[in-house]
Amino acid sequence: MTTTTAVPLVTEQVASKYKDAKPTGEYDAIVVGGGHNGLICAAYMAKAGKKVLLLERRHVLGGAAVTEEVFPGFKFSVCSYVVSLFRPHIIRDLELPKFGYQVLPLDCSFLPLPNGDSLARWGDGERTRREIARFSKKDSEVYPEFGKAMMQMARFAKPLIDSPAPAPESLNPLELLDILQVGERFKNLGKDNQTRLVKMMTMSAADFLDEWFESDTLKGPMSVSGIIGTFQGVRSPGTAYVLLHHYMGEIDGAFRSWGFAKGGTGAISMACAGAAKHLGVEIRTEAAVAKILMKGNSARGVVMANGDEIRAKIVVSGVDPRLTFMGLVGEEHLDGEFATQIKRYKFRGSSGKVNLALDRFPNFTCRPGDGNHLRGDIAIVPSMDYVEKAFDEAKYGDFSRRPYINIVIPSLTDPSVAPPGKHVMSCFVQYAPYNIKEGPSHWPQRREAFGETVIDTIEEYVPNIRQTILHKQVLSPWDLEKDFGLTEGNIFHGELSLEQLAFQRPTAKWSRYRTPVDNLYLCGSGAHPGGGIMGAPGELASKEILKSGAI
Amino acid sequence: MPVPTPFHPRTSALCTSYRWKQWSGYHAVCSYETCHEREYNAFRQGAGLLDVTPLFKYEVRGKGAADFLSHVLTKDARKVKVGQVSYVSWTDDKGKMLDDGTITRIADDHFRMTAALPTYYWLEKNRRGYDVTVSDVSDQIATLALQGPTSRAILKKACDADLDKLGFFKTTACRMDGFEARITRTGYTGDLGYEVWVKNADALKLWDHLMDAGKDHGIEAAGLDALDITRIEAGFILLDVDYFSAKDCLIEARKSTPYEIGLGWTVNLDREPFIGQAALKAEKAKGSKWAFVGLDIDWLELEALYLAQDLPPSVPGAAWRTAVPVFDQDMGQVGQATSGAWSPILKKNLALATVLNEHSKPGTKLRIETTVEFKRQSVTATVVEKPFFNPERKRA
Amino acid sequence: MANNFDVIVIGAGHNGLAAAAALAKGGRKVVVLERRAHVGGLAAGEEFAPGYKTLGLLLDTHGVRREAVDSLDLADHGLKLQDAETPVYAAQEKGPGLLLYRDSAKAAPEIAKHSEKDAKSYVEFRAFVERITPFVAGVLACQPPSIVPTACDLVKLAKTGLSLRLLGEKDMLELLRIGPMCIADWLGDWFESDLLKTALAAPAFPGTFMGPWSAGSVATWLLGECSAHNGVAGGPAALTKALEAAAKAHGAEVRLNTPVRSIRLKAGTVTGVTLEDGSELHAPVVLSSLDPKRTFLGLVPPTELSMELERQVRVFKTRGTAAKLSLALKAPLEFAGRKGERFAAARVCGERIDDLEKSFDAVKYRRFSEKPYLEIRVPSVSDASLAPAGGHVVEVLVHFAPHNLEGGWTPESAKALAEAALNVLERVAPGTRANVVGQELLTPVDLESRYGLTGGHIYHGEHALDQVYSLRPSVDLSRYATPFPGLFIGGSGSHPGGGLTCAPGTLAAAAVLKAS
Repeated sequence: MTTTTAVPLVTEQVASKYKDAKPTGEYDAIVVGGGHNGLICAAYMAKAGKKVLLLERRHVLGGAAVTEEVFPGFKFSVCSYVVSLFRPHIIRDLELPKFGYQVLPLDCSFLPLPNGDSLARWGDGERTRREIARFSKKDSEVYPEFGKAMMQMARFAKPLIDSPAPAPESLNPLELLDILQVGERFKNLGKDNQTRLVKMMTMSAADFLDEWFESDTLKGPMSVSGIIGTFQGVRSPGTAYVLLHHYMGEIDGAFRSWGFAKGGTGAISMACAGAAKHLGVEIRTEAAVAKILMKGNSARGVVMANGDEIRAKIVVSGVDPRLTFMGLVGEEHLDGEFATQIKRYKFRGSSGKVNLALDRFPNFTCRPGDGNHLRGDIAIVPSMDYVEKAFDEAKYGDFSRRPYINIVIPSLTDPSVAPPGKHVMSCFVQYAPYNIKEGPSHWPQRREAFGETVIDTIEEYVPNIRQTILHKQVLSPWDLEKDFGLTEGNIFHGELSLEQLAFQRPTAKWSRYRTPVDNLYLCGSGAHPGGGIMGAPGELASKEILKSGAI
Repeated sequence: MPVPTPFHPRTSALCTSYRWKQWSGYHAVCSYETCHEREYNAFRQGAGLLDVTPLFKYEVRGKGAADFLSHVLTKDARKVKVGQVSYVSWTDDKGKMLDDGTITRIADDHFRMTAALPTYYWLEKNRRGYDVTVSDVSDQIATLALQGPTSRAILKKACDADLDKLGFFKTTACRMDGFEARITRTGYTGDLGYEVWVKNADALKLWDHLMDAGKDHGIEAAGLDALDITRIEAGFILLDVDYFSAKDCLIEARKSTPYEIGLGWTVNLDREPFIGQAALKAEKAKGSKWAFVGLDIDWLELEALYLAQDLPPSVPGAAWRTAVPVFDQDMGQVGQATSGAWSPILKKNLALATVLNEHSKPGTKLRIETTVEFKRQSVTATVVEKPFFNPERKRA
Repeated sequence: MANNFDVIVIGAGHNGLAAAAALAKGGRKVVVLERRAHVGGLAAGEEFAPGYKTLGLLLDTHGVRREAVDSLDLADHGLKLQDAETPVYAAQEKGPGLLLYRDSAKAAPEIAKHSEKDAKSYVEFRAFVERITPFVAGVLACQPPSIVPTACDLVKLAKTGLSLRLLGEKDMLELLRIGPMCIADWLGDWFESDLLKTALAAPAFPGTFMGPWSAGSVATWLLGECSAHNGVAGGPAALTKALEAAAKAHGAEVRLNTPVRSIRLKAGTVTGVTLEDGSELHAPVVLSSLDPKRTFLGLVPPTELSMELERQVRVFKTRGTAAKLSLALKAPLEFAGRKGERFAAARVCGERIDDLEKSFDAVKYRRFSEKPYLEIRVPSVSDASLAPAGGHVVEVLVHFAPHNLEGGWTPESAKALAEAALNVLERVAPGTRANVVGQELLTPVDLESRYGLTGGHIYHGEHALDQVYSLRPSVDLSRYATPFPGLFIGGSGSHPGGGLTCAPGTLAAAAVLKAS
């Protein structure tokens, strides 16, 4: 496998290399990490008139939301590949469309089946009903009712991702008021949905879907929205709640949020960077931070890898909690209890990515041609048992022999990402556990076999896929850690399990972006409300920082 | 993406306007010509031939069929005799409308049911304890509505059934030109009319046969635009326009009970338990909040509003279904008009509205919003009895 | 009239009897109707091989609620609590195994054989469990609030919230953290010994559809552990005897061999029951201790059930995952690691957490475990009358075995499961197989038909976070009263759930007494 050097195209327009323009003077805030959350947090602070410096270790901005021309002419959303929940008010506040933000909607979820059949779910409800009815007439009629119930619950849950997590340990009456307001909205939900929501918090995606549907073919692809990016199977309790996230995007009014970013996911980061720069943020790439500069229990700035010190009133970390505290702060500056909590904060990356450059579009045996069914997301997950078995293998330390694969082919919708007639195919693959039984450091030896497994799996549906592959890039969770600084390859900066969400993300008492280190804040996916391209942690962190009066 | 009905080869050849819409996932003609007027006149003067295949159709069979339907419908289906068709509605546990349709008793233990929305699962899940089977025949049976004063003459020519004896809301099996068909004397135009049900394979034969039989009787292929005017003249309620199925409603306020939408007559309250019974009994005792009424919109007032802008009066040619507020005389809102049309045969401007019960007595003068030259205004609308148009031939 | 009562109780298991005793004590004229020929339900003893008696399906009495014992004056009817805890021996193929006590002082030397560090941690671990026990036990001891709280419920919730807060910030946050967690992770935070973690985790799984890596398994563990005491002297049989005596002493009538066909309703209100033989009994109140699916889908006439209630009952998860193997041994059960010692309780659950997880994996795919986890009780250790001289009765709950086995249960597949269980046992207790003189295997399907358990579920419905408290068995049925005036439920399908506790029965009786 050859991975050519990435060719950053746009980063240079908004950022300069650290060595070319060393920052000087004192800043109000230094943001560590140029992922989308870091950029958004920096932009909001700058918008409030603060002097902000953002430092990115890599040569390219965007963190895990990055577009790279991995092979000449083929631009890949290397890690994160679809946009679901990007907060619409951030798009408006930062005027992101001015800086290139554009999302092309996904209209179809396509499920090829090994028996030559297939199921495509469309935006057109009647068409979807007919498709599902081929597998179960009952399910075809229940499907819209399910959508309605989920939408109602998502309406309740959504404000939770747009505000800081309530703190149950607090005795502050204002906090209690917050909790009561949640209670009030809960009351308005109606008994049926109240019950569902309470049960969903702790049920497995499989059990929850079993309450509604009978067709395993339909439940397979629906269930996986409960486990993407987690080290859980669809039968693991607690995965049902995540299904709701799938529906939250649907309720942002006219704003259709499920889609590809034009120019790849990196275009979102570049839009954030463009906005940040426009608002006055100073952005430096190839600027690796070695340590956070501590004075007593207080952050005073950062120490660069080359020994430079840059001072600021506060430091905001967009990298994950373990890297922030164990790496940048250092255990010696933490109290034992907190260090224990950070150490047991779970990452357990479970997914990998295979990016293919194709000579032509993939021709699925079950539905030939390059019709609209290829323009949405394509899921290889013929049943719930299929994905549960894939999980069982991962549980005992191996990558799945037949994994769940989520495929998108953005070049069919956005021709700018591949040469004419050629295509980029992005395959999100689960499960690929970071902790393989040989130990994570053995991933380089297993990587090729992992990539082959993925292609073998796809080959069962697209028989000539091998002949059409021009290039391939295989990213194991170990690669995600090494290349993108994602601890244990977790794409969400930490498991989205119930005990690591809301007021416990990343730990109880420190869910409000502040940390036990004075003047050090978190703004990444390891903070509430968690991972995915939402922008919410970055925005909410900036608001808490500005409110605190620290700068 | 809609699919064609079995009649598509004929309807598409005639639809020179290319005006189609989606109806339950099928392509359906709005009007064959750019203007629907000729098709409307066929319904009222000759006979209009309308493809109503997209209706959902279910066969309910078994010893317990009548008991089962009586449990799931608000009507006592046991009272429906063999050979009879009955207009029915059904509700959820709380008495809120799910849908309306018809049941046809083909035999003692065999009913055919029609619905506007997919209803298979709902029937299936309520089947426990009854000796019945439910099968969805929606995409196996093709249906044409033949509606209008000459429809009987046409059908008499086309089939072997004794149509003079086939009363209003009655059904009969018959033979046509080498194929079997079922005729029901039903329709959605409030006029003399029939619906003819055949196997998909016989659909084109049926179309050709009726067109042939009707060519001397003013038969015309007619679309949904013309139908919409006739159903408003008949005062018929339409799902997703005048009311919404409880299963689709995001809020309680959007739901309605049969009493509130003028379908109280389809409810037989005092009998064995049926779905929604307790709630409907309570409502019956307490009185309903809303009522479904016909409004006659004052023409002279409307004309005056146009005159004030130096314009001649104008009304849309087609039926409208964008809801507008309805007020009392003090301009307090008391409801909404959900559809309406200018009736070419009555020369009246009509609307169907849901208003607070206390404003529903015939003769009550309300006001309805109307926009003239971009200005919101209101005109008097009088509550009147439905149907607005009710020719004797309908039942004769 | 002989067939007119204040309350008809359906089912004479521990909950039915406890409810009947409480209602009779409250002055009601009560009749208990039992389908089988004896009382006791899942705690009824039966001969399964010539001269060998099993105690039934539920064998542990450490969960019997003290509130029930006190309020029903069971002590006056012969019930005594044991003085000492019965430790559970976790068997090992090679090595001494682990005799596990709740009492950390007694457990420490045992644990130290495997890890000195864990022996110390265990003291802290038990201390933490002790500290949160009053809170959990408090929640378990009362009627759950409605999910849409009334003013009264709000007071109750506020009290619960307060008692949670009173745990102190650290314990409260820890409880909130571990509540939804999987037990493998939680025990991983505390301990290093694989055997200890495995043995400690095992009790979390009976009656669940979970393995140690399933989130929520800490909660099911706490559910059992936070109400445990030393158990009843004489075990389940003594409990059943005391309950029956108490009920009868207060005037309740018990009719055996009296299956109920349906519950009679008039305009939605209870008027009595119709028996299988067609005769009718009249009462304004019927309390069913059968499982919720049997009660509502079996006894309530279908046309009386609203769509919503039917949905709620149908989605109540009742996937049985255990089979019962009763072994008649001609000699004592002897473990390789502890020659000569006689244990009344043991478990063979592998030696690592993943062994348990693997035995769970099978049921997800409708298979039984090749190497099942065995929960073993040897009642003949303390009661020689259960077996002929020198012989022993070994009772085994075999996990995991699905009710809906792929291809269905056949005599062959039942035999294969019994073999799998015996193979596992033979490995830690060599020679056992040669001592077997009789055996009976009840698959989940057999449990369903013998005991009337939907899905063969020993707890009338799974223990899981989404099926406890205000959600057990469903939102409209969690407070013992039902939408049908006069119909109450009070079996293991109600809060606080399954096992020999008498709690659902007494709480349901309290609800009846309060309502009338």
